[in-house]
Amino acid sequence: MWFFSACLFRHLVLDMDTLLNLSLGFQQALTPEALLYCLLGVTLGTVVGVLPGIGTLTTISLCLPLTLNLDPLLGLIMLAGIFYGAQYGGSITSILLNVPGSAPSAVTCLDGYQMTKHGRAGVALFVTTIASFIGGSFAIVLMILFAPVLADFAVSFSAADYFAIMLLALTAASTLAIGSPLKGLSMVMLGLVLGLVGTDINSGQFRFTFGFPALADGINLAALAMGLFGVSEILTNLVSGDLPQLVNARITFRSMIPTKLDIQQFWGACTRGTLLGSFVGMLPGTGPTIAAFMAYALEKKVAVEPARFGRGAIEGVVAPEAANNASVQAAFIPTMTLGIPGDAIMAVMIGGLLIHGITPGPQLINENPELFWGVVASFWVGNILLLILNLPLIGVWVKLLSIPYRVLFPAVLFLICIGVYSINNSSFDVLLTFIFGIVGFWFNRHGFPSAPLLLGFVLGPMLEENFRRALLLANGDLLTFVQRPVSLLFLVITLVLLVTAIVSSSLLANRRSI
Amino acid sequence: MSTIKAKITQMRTSYHFKFSKGFLISMVLLLVACNGDNNSSATTSNETVSTQTEFYPQRPVRVIVPFGPGGLADVTMRVAGEELSKTLGQAIVIENHPGAGGVAATSTMLNAAADGYTLIVLTNGTTIAESQFDDLPYKITTDLRPISALAWFDLVLLTSPDSGLDTLQAVLDRAHSNPNGIRIATINPGSTQHLSAELFKTRAGIQATVISYRSTPDVLGALLRQEVDLVIDGYTGLKGAIDGGQALPVAVTGAERNPAMPNVPTVQEAGVADYVVTGWNAVYTHSATPDFIVAKLNEVFLAVTALPAIKMQFSELGVEARGSTPDEIQQRLLADIVKWREVMVASNLIEK
Repeated sequence: MWFFSACLFRHLVLDMDTLLNLSLGFQQALTPEALLYCLLGVTLGTVVGVLPGIGTLTTISLCLPLTLNLDPLLGLIMLAGIFYGAQYGGSITSILLNVPGSAPSAVTCLDGYQMTKHGRAGVALFVTTIASFIGGSFAIVLMILFAPVLADFAVSFSAADYFAIMLLALTAASTLAIGSPLKGLSMVMLGLVLGLVGTDINSGQFRFTFGFPALADGINLAALAMGLFGVSEILTNLVSGDLPQLVNARITFRSMIPTKLDIQQFWGACTRGTLLGSFVGMLPGTGPTIAAFMAYALEKKVAVEPARFGRGAIEGVVAPEAANNASVQAAFIPTMTLGIPGDAIMAVMIGGLLIHGITPGPQLINENPELFWGVVASFWVGNILLLILNLPLIGVWVKLLSIPYRVLFPAVLFLICIGVYSINNSSFDVLLTFIFGIVGFWFNRHGFPSAPLLLGFVLGPMLEENFRRALLLANGDLLTFVQRPVSLLFLVITLVLLVTAIVSSSLLANRRSI
Repeated sequence: MSTIKAKITQMRTSYHFKFSKGFLISMVLLLVACNGDNNSSATTSNETVSTQTEFYPQRPVRVIVPFGPGGLADVTMRVAGEELSKTLGQAIVIENHPGAGGVAATSTMLNAAADGYTLIVLTNGTTIAESQFDDLPYKITTDLRPISALAWFDLVLLTSPDSGLDTLQAVLDRAHSNPNGIRIATINPGSTQHLSAELFKTRAGIQATVISYRSTPDVLGALLRQEVDLVIDGYTGLKGAIDGGQALPVAVTGAERNPAMPNVPTVQEAGVADYVVTGWNAVYTHSATPDFIVAKLNEVFLAVTALPAIKMQFSELGVEARGSTPDEIQQRLLADIVKWREVMVASNLIEK
């Protein structure tokens, strides 16, 4: 506690410096060139986010060579713009078509699509844009004020702590299911099993690869998500025959305005999503998918009427969107201050800097202050550009729904194929997408929810890897999980969650029997 | 009033829609253009190859990198690619086929025509994958033909500056005095770094647990938390950490000292005899490629790797730019296959 207030004090004293640094940053970020590249980045990011299957990693990889001849600051501004811009766009197809633009927005399908079905697509898109902006902006403020302290805090998390956090997230996964809890649980298990495929991180042995070298690195997350959520949705619509006529093509500005009740529910969800997303985003190795899923689970846990979720609850759209935007922005904190990138996308951006002879690390902020503060300032510029770009576009996106399905579906399938293929230039992944599409179609028909599977798949490998690493580090002593304060805290929360779930369900059963 | 408003909105939306559709189409075209030429060269017949003989290359040359963008193999190839395209007068197109020990990348290269328009970057990682994968769809030693080496690099042994382990001898002493030995962090099993750690254990005769992490940044995090005693990894990814005082280099694995860190001894100098690990990146192509194309490419690679600008850019990345004869790099490839297979058997990564 004393340490923390000392840190805060130090930062308040340094406030003048922060302002000077920021003004230096804005000088860099507001030059016409920087504005142009920022706009280019966020526009491309939005488009990439909207197009199902075409992922951020692919786009940034494709654009990396283009930045080699640019000033490093401009290059980084553009690449970063693509990264966070994509989070804005990703939810659009989730909400309108039940096809996620990218893995992190898969969870937005759950309630977003229901809102569209109830004729509230305009409201859903409006609140996600605002929530994205708030989530992103909050994480930027964190970065400006506390980046070095937070980075140290995030890196202090060891394997045992990660294990406890992932366990909590997995426990929360059970709440993602709508309908039969047993089906939900079995989907989590299936997700965990699918997550095992690939090279074992400790022994280097191949597990469940069935002799396919293409499976040596595991199942591609995009192939799984696009298959289960995208392809299966198209199949379901085709087979059921009654294609929903969802829109009235005229979208007036009024139809986007949330009701009073919406606004009340918005703030709480947005705040929780933002805080959770910022925390998860800072931890290297997590990322927006986990942040979005955890935020959704949290909303459902704290909701007065959890039954509303999965039926068009506005919190189920707002919280994950705030969380994934906060998390991508917060991921820059360890990347820029310690040179520890949170995920593969960050690593590519660092590679871009390396080509220019700039090595991110603790010295970056002192050796290249123009670069550091310029990029930070550009985040804000970029988020404001995204807000300006996205609000008027809502009407345009909703128009997508008036495209006849015979045109829209082949186009979406085509984009999914290109997108999945381009990640590893692998046709095997495209095949996998279609296999998962057919499997997902079967799941849809028989009431097995796909969201818990996806979360199990994402968390499973991290859970196992960190559990085994923690034991290796502790020479096999299981007590390591309760000796570390962070890990103990999260284990206790997990336990409380489990106990309350069991107690409340048995109470419910008792009441019923009376 | 409201109908007018609605009309205006409609007009505006339809205008925006056209704009966005145009954007969608151009985006799709861009992606198709980037990925679509994958198999086009496979259709080139041998006749057309022979008519092109005097004028190689007449169109862009693809170089397949078996890793994602931003890694060492990718960055060095991109830096060299700029100069190569100037010398060859044709664009060098880098294509990343990451993952699976380079199997996907090598298969893609072999599916293209043997006309010198599709090259591949091999690394010492390739020589490990050769033993790691049971039934590869190709034979790396005979289906591919060497062109030249491109880059050579050593690995660095690092400790935490706060750990009190400021020399390799101190690390060895701790390994001997501690009943559980020391902990060494590397990236994933089957990587050069991981096998180098296993080899270090054997050659130094110490007790040690090698702990695998997903990536170099994760390894650095482990060192910052001091949950490991020693890190073995490449210089490039950790240069920032070394300059910033997060990590302390205690030895390098090459036969000679690294010019970027002239004060850091080699492992051999620091007292572990018979321990040298040098990584390399080299350029290979289809084994059926005509001699004159290989000769021309070898000449160009030798010239480019000798350029002072390239030498300097590579050394900033912590690697040495040096070409080789096709035979020299092939001998190295063969020797490394044997070397790493022994290490893998000894550390139970594969069965004999």
